[in-house]
Amino acid sequence: RRELPDGGARPNASQFKQLVVSALGQLHGEVGAALPVDVLTYEEKTLSAILRVISSGLVKLWSALTLLGFYQNRRCAFRVLQTSPFLLALSGNSRELVL
Amino acid sequence: SPRAVRRYVLCEVLSDDPRCRQCIEDRAVGLAVRDAIGRVHGDYGLACCSISFTVKYLNAYTGTVLLRCRKDSYRLLCSALPFVRYLESRAQRYPCALNTLHVGGTIRTCQKFLIQYNRRQLLMLLQNCTNEEERQCIRKSLLSCSLTEEQSQSGDEEDDDGIE
Repeated sequence: RRELPDGGARPNASQFKQLVVSALGQLHGEVGAALPVDVLTYEEKTLSAILRVISSGLVKLWSALTLLGFYQNRRCAFRVLQTSPFLLALSGNSRELVL
Repeated sequence: SPRAVRRYVLCEVLSDDPRCRQCIEDRAVGLAVRDAIGRVHGDYGLACCSISFTVKYLNAYTGTVLLRCRKDSYRLLCSALPFVRYLESRAQRYPCALNTLHVGGTIRTCQKFLIQYNRRQLLMLLQNCTNEEERQCIRKSLLSCSLTEEQSQSGDEEDDDGIE
């Protein structure tokens, strides 16, 4: 999930994808920017998304998102809530389970 | 073991422009290589390869360059070398390419390779000679190609623990 501290214009799905690719490009160069990343879902309201990447690219993607600090000269931060090899597992977050 | 294991990458500068030779100096080559690593592998790759990175030896006449880097990052370095497109020095920029000749664990192995390589290059020049004087010069150079044991080695000698 992305966090934008102010109420500025929110990115749409393609701008979000562009942001992810450019984050990879900054930290990992042309090789990183060429890593195939898919935005499976994107919610502009909550700025939440589900991204898909090959498992060998997880470290590059996660590190690039962590170190991305700016969107259009505004401060921002990425928060990774959950990762899983299975899409179905992302429908519920076991950390929020009330037992 | 925490000892710094390095790799030495031997390459040659190829250029159509003969003026490119004047740019073959450690600062220009080092900057060009680091710029290429930054473009291809980003901030992470640049930082990774910059540890223990240096231009160890240069020969502007033959265009030979010896680079040193950490063993952990030599793949990042080698994969970025084809992306060096020009050398820049004193506000002059000339197009060129870097051809990787050899990767070794010590300066000595690279030196041995270079001597063999240069001998083969001289043999090829000998075949293309047009006059007897050139032939004599090349024959003389070929006969003096050897690694003499009393040559002093620099302080960076390490054990060669195998190239992946």
